[in-house]
Amino acid sequence: MTTDTRTPPAPAPARSPYRVTTARVLRSEWHKLWTLRTTWITLIAAVALVLSVGITMGSTYDGDDSDVDTVVFVLFGTQLSQICFAVLGILVTAGEYATGMIRASLTAVPRRRPVLWCKTAVFATVAFTLSLVTNIVTFLVAQIWLSGTDKELSLTDSGVLGALTGSAAAITLLSLIALGMGALLRSVPGGIGAFVGAVLVLPEVIGTLPLDAVDTAVKYFPAQASASLGSLTRVEDTVSAGTGLLTLALWAAAILVAASALLKRRDV
Amino acid sequence: MIRAHGLTKRYGGKNPKTAVDDLSFEVRPGTVTGFLGPNGAGKSTTMRMLLGLDAPTSGRCTVGGRAYAGHSAPLTEVGALLEARSIHPGRSAYHHLMALAHTHGFPRSRVEAVLGTTGLSDVAGRRVKGFSLGMGQRLGIAAALLGDPATLILDEPVNGLDPEGVLWIRNLLKAQAADGRTVLVSSHLMSEMAVTADHLIIVGRGKLLADTTVERFVRDSGTGSVKVVSPAAAHLAELLAGPAVTITSDTPGTLDIRGTDAEHIGRTAAAHAVPLFELTPHSASLEQAFMDLTHDSVEYVTPLEGAAA
Repeated sequence: MTTDTRTPPAPAPARSPYRVTTARVLRSEWHKLWTLRTTWITLIAAVALVLSVGITMGSTYDGDDSDVDTVVFVLFGTQLSQICFAVLGILVTAGEYATGMIRASLTAVPRRRPVLWCKTAVFATVAFTLSLVTNIVTFLVAQIWLSGTDKELSLTDSGVLGALTGSAAAITLLSLIALGMGALLRSVPGGIGAFVGAVLVLPEVIGTLPLDAVDTAVKYFPAQASASLGSLTRVEDTVSAGTGLLTLALWAAAILVAASALLKRRDV
Repeated sequence: MIRAHGLTKRYGGKNPKTAVDDLSFEVRPGTVTGFLGPNGAGKSTTMRMLLGLDAPTSGRCTVGGRAYAGHSAPLTEVGALLEARSIHPGRSAYHHLMALAHTHGFPRSRVEAVLGTTGLSDVAGRRVKGFSLGMGQRLGIAAALLGDPATLILDEPVNGLDPEGVLWIRNLLKAQAADGRTVLVSSHLMSEMAVTADHLIIVGRGKLLADTTVERFVRDSGTGSVKVVSPAAAHLAELLAGPAVTITSDTPGTLDIRGTDAEHIGRTAAAHAVPLFELTPHSASLEQAFMDLTHDSVEYVTPLEGAAA
Protein backbone atom coordinates (compact mmCIF):
# COMPACT_ATOMS: atom_id res chain seq x y z
CA MET A 1 0.00 0.00 0.00
CA THR A 2 1.34 3.43 -0.88
CA THR A 3 0.47 6.75 0.56
CA ASP A 4 0.34 9.89 -1.52
CA THR A 5 1.70 12.65 0.66
CA ARG A 6 1.21 15.49 -1.83
CA THR A 7 -2.56 15.62 -1.88
CA PRO A 8 -4.33 16.65 1.27
CA PRO A 9 -6.27 13.78 2.84
CA ALA A 10 -9.93 13.59 1.99
CA PRO A 11 -12.00 15.06 4.80
CA ALA A 12 -12.39 12.26 7.29
CA PRO A 13 -15.94 11.35 8.16
CA ALA A 14 -16.95 13.18 11.30
CA ARG A 15 -15.47 11.04 14.05
CA SER A 16 -17.98 10.03 16.63
CA PRO A 17 -17.10 11.52 20.01
CA TYR A 18 -18.41 8.33 21.61
CA ARG A 19 -16.02 5.57 22.52
CA VAL A 20 -15.25 3.47 25.54
CA THR A 21 -12.38 4.82 27.64
CA THR A 22 -11.05 3.81 31.05
CA ALA A 23 -12.16 7.13 32.52
CA ARG A 24 -15.69 6.54 31.23
CA VAL A 25 -15.85 3.00 32.57
CA LEU A 26 -14.70 4.37 35.95
CA ARG A 27 -17.48 6.95 35.79
CA SER A 28 -20.00 4.24 34.92
CA GLU A 29 -18.89 2.04 37.82
CA TRP A 30 -19.01 5.02 40.18
CA HIS A 31 -22.56 5.73 38.99
CA LYS A 32 -23.56 2.09 39.39
CA LEU A 33 -22.20 1.93 42.94
CA TRP A 34 -24.08 4.95 44.22
CA THR A 35 -27.42 4.28 42.51
CA LEU A 36 -28.17 1.17 44.56
CA ARG A 37 -29.75 1.29 48.00
CA THR A 38 -27.68 -1.64 49.23
CA THR A 39 -24.53 0.48 48.85
CA TRP A 40 -25.87 3.19 51.11
CA ILE A 41 -27.23 0.69 53.63
CA THR A 42 -23.98 -1.29 53.96
CA LEU A 43 -21.79 1.81 54.08
CA ILE A 44 -23.96 3.60 56.65
CA ALA A 45 -24.05 0.42 58.72
CA ALA A 46 -20.26 0.10 58.51
CA VAL A 47 -19.70 3.68 59.70
CA ALA A 48 -22.36 3.45 62.42
CA LEU A 49 -20.89 0.22 63.80
CA VAL A 50 -17.34 1.57 64.13
CA LEU A 51 -18.52 4.85 65.59
CA SER A 52 -20.97 3.36 68.07
CA VAL A 53 -18.59 0.65 69.27
CA GLY A 54 -15.84 3.27 69.61
CA ILE A 55 -18.11 5.56 71.65
CA THR A 56 -19.21 2.65 73.80
CA MET A 57 -15.62 1.59 74.47
CA GLY A 58 -14.53 5.15 75.24
CA SER A 59 -17.46 6.12 77.43
CA THR A 60 -17.36 2.93 79.52
CA TYR A 61 -13.61 2.72 79.98
CA ASP A 62 -12.60 2.37 83.59
CA GLY A 63 -8.89 1.71 83.21
CA ASP A 64 -8.99 -2.11 83.17
CA ASP A 65 -8.03 -2.89 79.62
CA SER A 66 -4.56 -1.45 79.63
CA ASP A 67 -2.98 -4.38 77.75
CA VAL A 68 -4.74 -3.36 74.49
CA ASP A 69 -3.33 -0.36 72.67
CA THR A 70 -5.51 2.68 72.22
CA VAL A 71 -6.10 2.49 68.48
CA VAL A 72 -7.09 -1.20 68.58
CA PHE A 73 -9.27 -0.40 71.59
CA VAL A 74 -11.31 2.40 69.99
CA LEU A 75 -11.56 0.58 66.62
CA PHE A 76 -13.00 -2.72 67.88
CA GLY A 77 -16.01 -1.94 65.70
CA THR A 78 -13.94 -2.43 62.55
CA GLN A 79 -14.29 -6.19 63.05
CA LEU A 80 -18.00 -5.69 62.35
CA SER A 81 -17.61 -3.06 59.63
CA GLN A 82 -15.22 -5.43 57.88
CA ILE A 83 -18.16 -7.76 57.22
CA CYS A 84 -20.19 -4.85 55.75
CA PHE A 85 -17.39 -3.84 53.39
CA ALA A 86 -16.72 -7.45 52.39
CA VAL A 87 -20.41 -8.02 51.62
CA LEU A 88 -20.52 -4.81 49.56
CA GLY A 89 -17.41 -5.95 47.67
CA ILE A 90 -19.12 -9.23 46.85
CA LEU A 91 -22.31 -7.43 45.80
CA VAL A 92 -20.34 -5.17 43.45
CA THR A 93 -19.18 -8.15 41.41
CA ALA A 94 -21.36 -11.20 42.14
CA GLY A 95 -24.46 -8.98 42.39
CA GLU A 96 -24.21 -8.26 38.67
CA TYR A 97 -24.33 -11.98 37.92
CA ALA A 98 -27.28 -12.53 40.25
CA THR A 99 -29.32 -9.86 38.47
CA GLY A 100 -28.07 -10.34 34.90
CA MET A 101 -26.68 -6.78 34.87
CA ILE A 102 -23.29 -8.27 33.93
CA ARG A 103 -24.64 -8.96 30.42
CA ALA A 104 -25.43 -5.28 29.97
CA SER A 105 -22.08 -4.27 31.47
CA LEU A 106 -20.05 -6.58 29.23
CA THR A 107 -22.08 -5.68 26.15
CA ALA A 108 -21.18 -2.02 26.77
CA VAL A 109 -17.54 -2.88 27.52
CA PRO A 110 -16.83 -6.07 25.57
CA ARG A 111 -13.12 -6.00 26.38
CA ARG A 112 -14.38 -7.05 29.79
CA ARG A 113 -11.26 -6.61 31.96
CA PRO A 114 -11.73 -2.82 32.35
CA VAL A 115 -15.07 -3.53 34.03
CA LEU A 116 -13.40 -5.52 36.81
CA TRP A 117 -10.46 -3.15 37.22
CA CYS A 118 -12.71 -0.10 37.34
CA LYS A 119 -15.02 -1.79 39.84
CA THR A 120 -11.94 -2.57 41.94
CA ALA A 121 -10.62 0.98 41.73
CA VAL A 122 -13.94 2.63 42.56
CA PHE A 123 -14.69 0.27 45.41
CA ALA A 124 -11.16 0.50 46.86
CA THR A 125 -11.27 4.31 46.79
CA VAL A 126 -14.64 4.43 48.51
CA ALA A 127 -13.81 1.75 51.10
CA PHE A 128 -10.42 3.23 51.97
CA THR A 129 -11.56 6.85 52.15
CA LEU A 130 -14.65 6.07 54.18
CA SER A 131 -12.76 3.73 56.55
CA LEU A 132 -9.99 6.25 57.10
CA VAL A 133 -12.38 9.13 57.84
CA THR A 134 -14.47 6.90 60.10
CA ASN A 135 -11.37 5.72 61.95
CA ILE A 136 -10.11 9.27 62.54
CA VAL A 137 -13.51 10.55 63.63
CA THR A 138 -14.05 7.56 65.92
CA PHE A 139 -10.62 7.98 67.45
CA LEU A 140 -11.22 11.68 68.12
CA VAL A 141 -14.71 11.15 69.52
CA ALA A 142 -13.54 8.34 71.81
CA GLN A 143 -10.79 10.61 73.12
CA ILE A 144 -13.47 12.86 74.61
CA TRP A 145 -13.88 10.19 77.30
CA LEU A 146 -10.38 8.75 77.22
CA SER A 147 -8.52 11.97 77.92
CA GLY A 148 -7.06 11.80 81.38
CA THR A 149 -6.84 8.00 81.33
CA ASP A 150 -3.86 5.88 80.30
CA LYS A 151 -5.42 5.73 76.82
CA GLU A 152 -5.17 9.44 76.18
CA LEU A 153 -3.50 10.03 72.82
CA SER A 154 -3.68 12.66 70.09
CA LEU A 155 -3.66 12.21 66.33
CA THR A 156 -0.19 13.67 66.16
CA ASP A 157 1.31 11.17 68.61
CA SER A 158 3.78 8.79 67.10
CA GLY A 159 2.20 5.95 65.17
CA VAL A 160 -1.45 6.99 65.69
CA LEU A 161 -2.16 8.21 62.17
CA GLY A 162 -0.22 5.27 60.78
CA ALA A 163 -2.30 2.76 62.72
CA LEU A 164 -5.58 4.46 61.78
CA THR A 165 -4.51 4.40 58.13
CA GLY A 166 -3.25 0.83 58.43
CA SER A 167 -6.61 -0.27 59.75
CA ALA A 168 -8.37 1.36 56.77
CA ALA A 169 -5.90 -0.28 54.38
CA ALA A 170 -6.46 -3.70 55.95
CA ILE A 171 -10.26 -3.33 55.69
CA THR A 172 -9.96 -2.23 52.08
CA LEU A 173 -7.61 -5.03 51.01
CA LEU A 174 -9.63 -7.73 52.79
CA SER A 175 -12.76 -6.37 51.07
CA LEU A 176 -10.98 -6.49 47.73
CA ILE A 177 -10.31 -10.18 48.37
CA ALA A 178 -14.08 -10.52 48.91
CA LEU A 179 -14.77 -8.56 45.71
CA GLY A 180 -12.43 -10.87 43.82
CA MET A 181 -14.09 -13.94 45.31
CA GLY A 182 -17.47 -12.60 44.20
CA ALA A 183 -16.13 -12.19 40.67
CA LEU A 184 -14.64 -15.70 40.68
CA LEU A 185 -17.69 -17.45 42.11
CA ARG A 186 -20.34 -15.26 40.41
CA SER A 187 -22.73 -15.88 43.30
CA VAL A 188 -23.51 -13.62 46.26
CA PRO A 189 -24.13 -16.45 48.77
CA GLY A 190 -21.15 -18.34 47.35
CA GLY A 191 -18.91 -15.29 47.71
CA ILE A 192 -20.00 -14.58 51.27
CA GLY A 193 -19.59 -18.25 52.18
CA ALA A 194 -16.14 -18.39 50.64
CA PHE A 195 -15.01 -15.20 52.36
CA VAL A 196 -16.26 -16.22 55.80
CA GLY A 197 -15.05 -19.79 55.36
CA ALA A 198 -11.67 -19.30 53.75
CA VAL A 199 -10.63 -15.94 55.20
CA LEU A 200 -12.23 -15.82 58.64
CA VAL A 201 -12.79 -19.45 59.77
CA LEU A 202 -10.28 -21.69 57.98
CA PRO A 203 -7.09 -20.19 59.49
CA GLU A 204 -8.60 -20.41 62.99
CA VAL A 205 -9.34 -24.09 62.44
CA ILE A 206 -6.02 -25.15 60.96
CA GLY A 207 -4.20 -22.91 63.45
CA THR A 208 -5.18 -25.42 66.14
CA LEU A 209 -3.07 -28.11 64.47
CA PRO A 210 0.03 -28.78 66.57
CA LEU A 211 2.53 -28.10 63.79
CA ASP A 212 5.02 -25.23 63.76
CA ALA A 213 4.93 -24.97 59.98
CA VAL A 214 1.17 -24.48 60.08
CA ASP A 215 1.50 -21.80 62.75
CA THR A 216 3.94 -19.93 60.56
CA ALA A 217 1.82 -20.32 57.44
CA VAL A 218 -1.33 -19.11 59.21
CA LYS A 219 0.42 -15.81 60.03
CA TYR A 220 0.39 -15.10 56.31
CA PHE A 221 -3.30 -15.77 55.81
CA PRO A 222 -5.13 -12.54 54.91
CA ALA A 223 -6.98 -11.87 58.15
CA GLN A 224 -3.96 -12.84 60.30
CA ALA A 225 -1.54 -10.82 58.20
CA SER A 226 -3.67 -7.72 58.81
CA ALA A 227 -3.48 -8.03 62.61
CA SER A 228 -0.67 -5.52 63.21
CA LEU A 229 -1.81 -3.05 60.56
CA GLY A 230 -4.35 -1.29 62.76
CA SER A 231 -2.21 -1.35 65.86
CA LEU A 232 0.29 1.04 67.44
CA THR A 233 2.56 -1.85 68.37
CA ARG A 234 3.21 -5.16 66.73
CA VAL A 235 0.64 -7.69 67.94
CA GLU A 236 2.22 -10.77 69.49
CA ASP A 237 2.71 -13.76 67.16
CA THR A 238 1.89 -11.84 64.01
CA VAL A 239 3.89 -10.46 61.13
CA SER A 240 4.93 -6.79 61.18
CA ALA A 241 2.67 -4.09 59.78
CA GLY A 242 4.82 -3.69 56.67
CA THR A 243 4.99 -7.41 55.96
CA GLY A 244 1.28 -7.67 56.67
CA LEU A 245 0.44 -4.90 54.22
CA LEU A 246 2.55 -6.51 51.51
CA THR A 247 1.09 -9.96 52.20
CA LEU A 248 -2.47 -8.65 52.05
CA ALA A 249 -1.78 -6.73 48.86
CA LEU A 250 -0.37 -9.89 47.25
CA TRP A 251 -3.42 -11.92 48.29
CA ALA A 252 -5.79 -9.33 46.86
CA ALA A 253 -3.75 -8.99 43.67
CA ALA A 254 -3.57 -12.76 43.15
CA ILE A 255 -7.32 -13.22 43.52
CA LEU A 256 -8.14 -10.23 41.31
CA VAL A 257 -5.73 -11.37 38.60
CA ALA A 258 -7.33 -14.83 38.67
CA ALA A 259 -10.80 -13.25 38.51
CA SER A 260 -9.72 -11.04 35.62
CA ALA A 261 -8.30 -13.98 33.65
CA LEU A 262 -11.49 -15.97 34.11
CA LEU A 263 -13.69 -12.98 33.31
CA LYS A 264 -12.00 -12.73 29.93
CA ARG A 265 -12.43 -16.42 29.17
CA ARG A 266 -15.77 -17.51 30.53
CA ASP A 267 -19.13 -17.29 28.81
CA VAL A 268 -21.56 -14.92 30.47
CA MET B 1 -24.34 -6.22 8.38
CA ILE B 2 -24.02 -9.37 10.43
CA ARG B 3 -21.97 -12.33 9.21
CA ALA B 4 -21.68 -15.76 10.78
CA HIS B 5 -19.39 -18.36 9.31
CA GLY B 6 -19.36 -21.96 10.49
CA LEU B 7 -20.52 -20.81 13.90
CA THR B 8 -20.57 -23.73 16.33
CA LYS B 9 -21.18 -23.90 20.07
CA ARG B 10 -20.90 -27.04 22.16
CA TYR B 11 -21.50 -27.23 25.89
CA GLY B 12 -20.39 -29.78 28.43
CA GLY B 13 -17.32 -31.95 28.63
CA LYS B 14 -18.04 -35.68 28.56
CA ASN B 15 -21.35 -35.61 26.81
CA PRO B 16 -21.29 -32.40 24.82
CA LYS B 17 -24.52 -30.88 23.66
CA THR B 18 -24.33 -28.98 20.39
CA ALA B 19 -26.39 -25.82 20.71
CA VAL B 20 -25.30 -24.26 17.42
CA ASP B 21 -23.98 -26.44 14.63
CA ASP B 22 -21.93 -24.99 11.75
CA LEU B 23 -24.25 -22.05 11.23
CA SER B 24 -23.46 -19.62 8.41
CA PHE B 25 -25.62 -16.68 7.43
CA GLU B 26 -25.64 -12.99 6.59
CA VAL B 27 -28.02 -10.36 7.81
CA ARG B 28 -28.18 -7.38 5.47
CA PRO B 29 -29.01 -3.79 6.30
CA GLY B 30 -32.27 -2.21 5.27
CA THR B 31 -34.51 -5.14 6.04
CA VAL B 32 -35.97 -6.79 9.10
CA THR B 33 -34.59 -10.31 9.35
CA GLY B 34 -36.55 -12.79 11.42
CA PHE B 35 -34.57 -15.42 13.27
CA LEU B 36 -36.88 -18.36 13.79
CA GLY B 37 -36.68 -21.73 15.36
CA PRO B 38 -38.36 -23.88 17.95
CA ASN B 39 -37.21 -23.73 21.56
CA GLY B 40 -33.65 -24.99 21.94
CA ALA B 41 -32.83 -24.30 18.30
CA GLY B 42 -29.86 -22.16 19.33
CA LYS B 43 -31.25 -18.69 18.60
CA SER B 44 -30.29 -17.11 21.92
CA THR B 45 -26.89 -18.80 21.94
CA THR B 46 -26.21 -17.47 18.44
CA MET B 47 -27.17 -13.96 19.52
CA ARG B 48 -24.94 -14.19 22.59
CA MET B 49 -22.04 -15.23 20.34
CA LEU B 50 -22.71 -12.26 18.04
CA LEU B 51 -22.36 -10.02 21.11
CA GLY B 52 -19.21 -11.70 22.37
CA LEU B 53 -20.90 -12.92 25.54
CA ASP B 54 -20.37 -16.57 24.58
CA ALA B 55 -17.24 -17.68 22.76
CA PRO B 56 -17.87 -19.95 19.75
CA THR B 57 -16.40 -23.45 19.95
CA SER B 58 -15.44 -22.91 16.32
CA GLY B 59 -16.33 -20.57 13.48
CA ARG B 60 -16.54 -16.81 13.64
CA CYS B 61 -19.00 -13.97 13.47
CA THR B 62 -18.72 -10.28 12.76
CA VAL B 63 -21.02 -7.34 13.22
CA GLY B 64 -20.39 -4.23 11.16
CA GLY B 65 -17.27 -5.78 9.67
CA ARG B 66 -15.44 -6.89 12.81
CA ALA B 67 -15.85 -8.98 15.92
CA TYR B 68 -18.16 -7.25 18.39
CA ALA B 69 -15.42 -6.79 20.99
CA GLY B 70 -13.23 -5.09 18.37
CA HIS B 71 -15.44 -2.00 18.18
CA SER B 72 -14.26 1.06 20.08
CA ALA B 73 -17.85 2.19 20.67
CA PRO B 74 -19.83 -1.06 20.58
CA LEU B 75 -23.13 0.49 21.66
CA THR B 76 -23.13 2.74 18.60
CA GLU B 77 -22.54 -0.33 16.44
CA VAL B 78 -24.99 -2.82 17.94
CA GLY B 79 -27.98 -2.40 20.21
CA ALA B 80 -29.07 -5.63 21.81
CA LEU B 81 -31.98 -6.96 23.79
CA LEU B 82 -31.27 -10.37 25.29
CA GLU B 83 -33.87 -12.88 26.29
CA ALA B 84 -32.59 -13.07 29.84
CA ARG B 85 -33.03 -9.87 31.82
CA SER B 86 -29.88 -7.79 31.95
CA ILE B 87 -30.95 -5.12 34.40
CA HIS B 88 -30.29 -4.67 38.12
CA PRO B 89 -33.79 -4.46 39.66
CA GLY B 90 -32.60 -2.18 42.46
CA ARG B 91 -31.64 0.63 40.10
CA SER B 92 -34.08 3.06 38.51
CA ALA B 93 -34.64 2.97 34.75
CA TYR B 94 -32.93 6.34 34.40
CA HIS B 95 -29.85 5.31 36.37
CA HIS B 96 -29.61 1.98 34.55
CA LEU B 97 -29.43 3.78 31.22
CA MET B 98 -27.17 6.51 32.60
CA ALA B 99 -24.68 3.90 33.88
CA LEU B 100 -24.53 2.39 30.39
CA ALA B 101 -24.36 5.86 28.78
CA HIS B 102 -21.33 6.81 30.89
CA THR B 103 -19.23 3.98 29.39
CA HIS B 104 -19.42 5.66 25.98
CA GLY B 105 -19.79 9.28 27.02
CA PHE B 106 -23.37 9.60 25.78
CA PRO B 107 -25.01 12.75 27.14
CA ARG B 108 -27.98 12.72 29.50
CA SER B 109 -30.16 14.01 26.65
CA ARG B 110 -29.62 10.70 24.85
CA VAL B 111 -30.92 8.79 27.88
CA GLU B 112 -33.94 11.07 28.08
CA ALA B 113 -34.56 10.60 24.35
CA VAL B 114 -34.71 6.79 24.52
CA LEU B 115 -36.85 6.95 27.64
CA GLY B 116 -39.24 9.08 25.61
CA THR B 117 -39.12 6.79 22.58
CA THR B 118 -39.98 3.77 24.71
CA GLY B 119 -42.69 5.58 26.67
CA LEU B 120 -40.88 5.23 30.00
CA SER B 121 -40.34 8.93 30.83
CA ASP B 122 -42.99 8.91 33.56
CA VAL B 123 -41.55 5.90 35.36
CA ALA B 124 -37.85 6.67 34.75
CA GLY B 125 -37.24 7.41 38.43
CA ARG B 126 -38.84 4.22 39.70
CA ARG B 127 -36.81 1.18 40.57
CA VAL B 128 -37.00 -1.56 37.97
CA LYS B 129 -38.06 -3.99 40.71
CA GLY B 130 -41.63 -2.69 40.39
CA PHE B 131 -41.78 -2.89 36.60
CA SER B 132 -44.16 -5.17 34.75
CA LEU B 133 -42.78 -7.61 32.20
CA GLY B 134 -43.74 -5.22 29.41
CA MET B 135 -42.08 -2.21 31.08
CA GLY B 136 -38.94 -4.26 31.66
CA GLN B 137 -38.97 -5.18 27.99
CA ARG B 138 -39.35 -1.53 27.00
CA LEU B 139 -36.40 -0.62 29.20
CA GLY B 140 -34.33 -3.34 27.52
CA ILE B 141 -35.25 -1.84 24.15
CA ALA B 142 -34.40 1.65 25.42
CA ALA B 143 -30.93 0.32 26.31
CA ALA B 144 -30.62 -1.22 22.85
CA LEU B 145 -31.46 2.12 21.20
CA LEU B 146 -29.18 4.13 23.49
CA GLY B 147 -26.22 4.35 21.11
CA ASP B 148 -28.38 4.92 18.01
CA PRO B 149 -26.77 1.72 16.66
CA ALA B 150 -26.33 0.63 13.05
CA THR B 151 -27.46 -2.88 13.98
CA LEU B 152 -30.21 -4.09 16.27
CA ILE B 153 -30.19 -7.62 17.69
CA LEU B 154 -33.36 -8.34 19.60
CA ASP B 155 -34.19 -11.66 21.23
CA GLU B 156 -37.96 -12.16 21.53
CA PRO B 157 -38.72 -8.44 21.85
CA VAL B 158 -42.51 -8.81 21.92
CA ASN B 159 -42.43 -11.13 24.95
CA GLY B 160 -44.67 -9.74 27.64
CA LEU B 161 -45.88 -6.78 25.60
CA ASP B 162 -49.55 -5.93 25.27
CA PRO B 163 -51.08 -5.61 21.78
CA GLU B 164 -50.27 -1.91 21.68
CA GLY B 165 -46.66 -2.70 22.60
CA VAL B 166 -46.47 -5.40 19.93
CA LEU B 167 -47.65 -2.91 17.31
CA TRP B 168 -45.13 -0.37 18.60
CA ILE B 169 -42.25 -2.88 18.27
CA ARG B 170 -43.40 -3.84 14.79
CA ASN B 171 -43.38 -0.23 13.62
CA LEU B 172 -40.12 0.50 15.40
CA LEU B 173 -38.34 -2.41 13.71
CA LYS B 174 -39.68 -1.46 10.30
CA ALA B 175 -38.69 2.17 10.78
CA GLN B 176 -35.20 1.18 11.90
CA ALA B 177 -34.77 -1.04 8.83
CA ALA B 178 -36.17 1.67 6.56
CA ASP B 179 -33.44 3.97 7.91
CA GLY B 180 -30.90 1.50 6.53
CA ARG B 181 -30.13 -0.29 9.76
CA THR B 182 -29.56 -4.01 10.11
CA VAL B 183 -32.29 -5.60 12.21
CA LEU B 184 -32.15 -9.19 13.45
CA VAL B 185 -35.11 -10.21 15.56
CA SER B 186 -35.82 -13.62 16.98
CA SER B 187 -39.31 -14.79 17.69
CA HIS B 188 -41.33 -17.93 18.12
CA LEU B 189 -44.43 -16.07 16.90
CA MET B 190 -44.66 -16.93 13.21
CA SER B 191 -47.67 -14.73 12.71
CA GLU B 192 -45.69 -11.81 14.11
CA MET B 193 -42.77 -12.42 11.75
CA ALA B 194 -45.14 -12.66 8.79
CA VAL B 195 -46.09 -9.02 9.26
CA THR B 196 -42.75 -7.71 10.56
CA ALA B 197 -39.92 -9.50 8.77
CA ASP B 198 -38.86 -9.35 5.13
CA HIS B 199 -36.21 -11.99 5.40
CA LEU B 200 -36.06 -15.22 7.37
CA ILE B 201 -33.29 -17.29 8.89
CA ILE B 202 -34.74 -20.50 10.23
CA VAL B 203 -32.81 -22.82 12.51
CA GLY B 204 -33.61 -26.18 14.05
CA ARG B 205 -31.35 -28.01 16.48
CA GLY B 206 -28.64 -25.45 15.86
CA LYS B 207 -28.55 -26.01 12.12
CA LEU B 208 -29.64 -23.70 9.35
CA LEU B 209 -32.90 -24.88 7.83
CA ALA B 210 -33.71 -21.96 5.58
CA ASP B 211 -32.32 -18.56 4.63
CA THR B 212 -34.89 -16.92 2.43
CA THR B 213 -37.49 -14.19 2.12
CA VAL B 214 -40.84 -14.53 3.81
CA GLU B 215 -42.60 -14.55 0.45
CA ARG B 216 -40.38 -17.15 -1.13
CA PHE B 217 -40.38 -19.30 1.95
CA VAL B 218 -44.14 -19.63 1.85
CA ARG B 219 -44.17 -20.22 -1.90
CA ASP B 220 -41.35 -22.76 -1.92
CA SER B 221 -42.60 -24.65 1.03
CA GLY B 222 -45.11 -26.19 -1.38
CA THR B 223 -48.07 -26.12 0.90
CA GLY B 224 -50.01 -23.51 -1.08
CA SER B 225 -53.17 -24.93 -2.61
CA VAL B 226 -55.91 -23.82 -4.99
CA LYS B 227 -59.55 -24.58 -4.40
CA VAL B 228 -61.51 -25.22 -7.60
CA VAL B 229 -65.26 -25.75 -7.93
CA SER B 230 -66.38 -27.04 -11.31
CA PRO B 231 -69.22 -29.19 -12.68
CA ALA B 232 -66.55 -31.02 -14.70
CA ALA B 233 -64.16 -31.52 -11.81
CA ALA B 234 -63.14 -35.04 -12.75
CA HIS B 235 -62.27 -33.95 -16.30
CA LEU B 236 -60.27 -30.99 -15.06
CA ALA B 237 -58.37 -33.25 -12.67
CA GLU B 238 -57.33 -35.43 -15.59
CA LEU B 239 -56.17 -32.39 -17.57
CA LEU B 240 -54.07 -31.08 -14.70
CA ALA B 241 -52.55 -34.39 -13.64
CA GLY B 242 -48.76 -34.35 -13.55
CA PRO B 243 -45.88 -35.66 -11.44
CA ALA B 244 -45.66 -32.52 -9.25
CA VAL B 245 -49.40 -32.02 -8.91
CA THR B 246 -51.54 -33.55 -6.19
CA ILE B 247 -55.28 -33.27 -6.38
CA THR B 248 -57.65 -34.19 -3.62
CA SER B 249 -61.37 -33.93 -3.46
CA ASP B 250 -63.44 -33.84 -0.29
CA THR B 251 -66.78 -33.17 -1.87
CA PRO B 252 -67.90 -33.97 -5.44
CA GLY B 253 -67.27 -31.05 -7.76
CA THR B 254 -64.62 -29.49 -5.50
CA LEU B 255 -60.89 -29.96 -5.98
CA ASP B 256 -57.99 -29.05 -3.74
CA ILE B 257 -54.99 -28.74 -6.03
CA ARG B 258 -51.36 -28.50 -4.94
CA GLY B 259 -48.26 -28.16 -7.07
CA THR B 260 -49.52 -25.67 -9.59
CA ASP B 261 -51.01 -22.20 -9.46
CA ALA B 262 -54.38 -20.60 -10.11
CA GLU B 263 -53.21 -19.03 -13.36
CA HIS B 264 -52.26 -22.38 -14.89
CA ILE B 265 -55.50 -23.96 -13.72
CA GLY B 266 -57.58 -21.10 -15.13
CA ARG B 267 -55.85 -21.21 -18.52
CA THR B 268 -56.11 -25.00 -18.73
CA ALA B 269 -59.81 -24.85 -17.91
CA ALA B 270 -60.40 -22.11 -20.51
CA ALA B 271 -58.45 -23.98 -23.18
CA HIS B 272 -60.62 -27.04 -22.71
CA ALA B 273 -63.85 -25.12 -22.14
CA VAL B 274 -64.25 -26.40 -18.62
CA PRO B 275 -66.57 -24.08 -16.69
CA LEU B 276 -65.23 -22.88 -13.31
CA PHE B 277 -67.53 -21.74 -10.48
CA GLU B 278 -64.70 -20.98 -8.12
CA LEU B 279 -60.92 -20.61 -8.35
CA THR B 280 -59.40 -19.65 -5.00
CA PRO B 281 -55.68 -19.71 -4.18
CA HIS B 282 -54.87 -20.45 -0.55
CA SER B 283 -51.32 -19.40 0.26
CA ALA B 284 -49.93 -21.35 3.14
CA SER B 285 -49.55 -19.35 6.29
CA LEU B 286 -46.02 -18.74 7.51
CA GLU B 287 -47.00 -20.63 10.62
CA GLN B 288 -47.94 -23.73 8.64
CA ALA B 289 -44.82 -23.59 6.48
CA PHE B 290 -42.65 -23.19 9.55
CA MET B 291 -44.32 -26.08 11.34
CA ASP B 292 -43.80 -28.32 8.33
CA LEU B 293 -40.15 -27.37 8.11
CA THR B 294 -39.25 -27.73 11.76
CA HIS B 295 -41.35 -30.88 12.06
CA ASP B 296 -39.14 -32.42 9.42
CA SER B 297 -36.01 -31.22 11.16
CA VAL B 298 -37.12 -32.82 14.37
CA GLU B 299 -37.85 -36.12 12.61
CA TYR B 300 -34.84 -36.43 10.36
CA VAL B 301 -32.35 -33.92 11.83
CA THR B 302 -31.11 -33.05 8.35
CA PRO B 303 -31.17 -29.54 6.96
CA LEU B 304 -33.73 -28.90 4.27
CA GLU B 305 -31.54 -26.95 1.92
CA GLY B 306 -34.17 -26.96 -0.77
CA ALA B 307 -36.10 -24.28 1.03
CA ALA B 308 -33.22 -21.85 0.62
CA ALA B 309 -32.69 -22.52 -3.08
